[in-house]
Amino acid sequence: MATNEAFYKRGKTAGVFPSLSSRRDEAYMNFIEDARNLLLHAQQKPIGEYSKLLLNNAGKSMEPDPSSTMEAVELLMKDNVLKTYYRIKRTLQESFWECTYNSLNMRKNDLLQALDDAEKIGPGSVTYDPSFSIPEYATSEIHIQPGGNANEPLSGLLYDYGSKVFMGGAADNDMFADMQASTVGVPKNNKVNRILDLGCSAGVTSSALKRIYPDAEVWGIDVSSHMVRYAHARAIEQNYDINFKQMLAEELNFDNNHFDIVVANLLFHEVPVSVSKKILSETLRVLRPGGSFTLIDFPGDKTRDVYTMFFGEMDAADNGEPFLPGFVRSNVEEIMEEVGFEMSPYDPSKFILAGRIGFKPNN
Amino acid sequence: MTDKKSNDLEDLGKLPGFKRGNPTYFENEVIDHLISITLELGAELWVVKDRLAHVEEILSEENEISLSSLRTGKPSDLLQEQLDKERKEIIKRIYGRLYSKYGGETVDEKSAI
Repeated sequence: MATNEAFYKRGKTAGVFPSLSSRRDEAYMNFIEDARNLLLHAQQKPIGEYSKLLLNNAGKSMEPDPSSTMEAVELLMKDNVLKTYYRIKRTLQESFWECTYNSLNMRKNDLLQALDDAEKIGPGSVTYDPSFSIPEYATSEIHIQPGGNANEPLSGLLYDYGSKVFMGGAADNDMFADMQASTVGVPKNNKVNRILDLGCSAGVTSSALKRIYPDAEVWGIDVSSHMVRYAHARAIEQNYDINFKQMLAEELNFDNNHFDIVVANLLFHEVPVSVSKKILSETLRVLRPGGSFTLIDFPGDKTRDVYTMFFGEMDAADNGEPFLPGFVRSNVEEIMEEVGFEMSPYDPSKFILAGRIGFKPNN
Repeated sequence: MTDKKSNDLEDLGKLPGFKRGNPTYFENEVIDHLISITLELGAELWVVKDRLAHVEEILSEENEISLSSLRTGKPSDLLQEQLDKERKEIIKRIYGRLYSKYGGETVDEKSAI
């Protein structure tokens, strides 16, 4: 069955995103997306070279040294070009959320009704509990998204459209998710019957995994009921049989040794390190021996030079990522080993987002 | 080292972006506001140019025009392609000069990744 037609009243944009409510909003967001691409993304390389020159002129070493990041911040943020860059970044971020929120909110009742209707149909399923207790860490407005993921009923739609603009077109037609899913570790003996996507948000990675393993039972879990509701509607539109459930990644309600593959795509930098450790223990428990866990996220600080640390932490601040600095300092691959994963070697220098792959040992 | 790390994290909380509302990056917040104003004006100017082009396209094909077709309709693929090109040129021309200090004034289209 198809999603309620109210969902796609103005058609689709770049895949399965519902188009915004008016041509005016679409034109505004086109401008914001292009401005982000041209004034931010396209400037990353020259602004990086410029920043490194400033650091070099001040006698600052480029060797990885997280303890000197604040010195770099103080030095670089005295410069007017860099202040301008970060001012533009924040303004465009605030502008795209305001426009997206107002545009979707104009037809809030129709959109929520469409999500209600989608719950009653398949393929796949969605399960959530209106009395679910949301941990405090999950209530912050990450990405400065209005209302955050857990408290805003339209958060799934907001996040999905926001990702499109934030990624400057790279997320269109699920291209980015497909690229990420293609790096997921294949379990030992190659058998893939069950897959779990932790912190699935809009379900984009869950769908990408379903494309790779069409016969596998795929589960997507997220702390937010609003996210899993939207993920289900989105999967229906793509005709994917995926089960979405509201659940904490640190308290998985699945049997031991249940999954062949577990994936966490950009989840870990959104939770405190203490929670990360619990998630890793739970992941190891639900994986079958030989099963693979792929953790796609930012590289740790031992692999990043001083400028990259500066850039990442300014980004964490401007993009509302309160737990990102703690995550990159934790060097999560070391925690994975401590928890008991058998690690595959990886080269974080090749990726903006590094995939750490660990296997559950056979004994 | 542990103490140093936690101090670092506390310090990062002082960065402008961690402030909600309207963080400032310049000592003089008027400069922050002026940059935001110019971006907002650019976006609103683009909305008007997009609307005008849409009106012209509809009128070139039909004798009448309705508000609903302007509000919720979409331009043809051909016009959309032209608009996409024009919008990028405008952004480059108006805002590219902000980065001229370090030779980044020639902005090329790239994706985030």
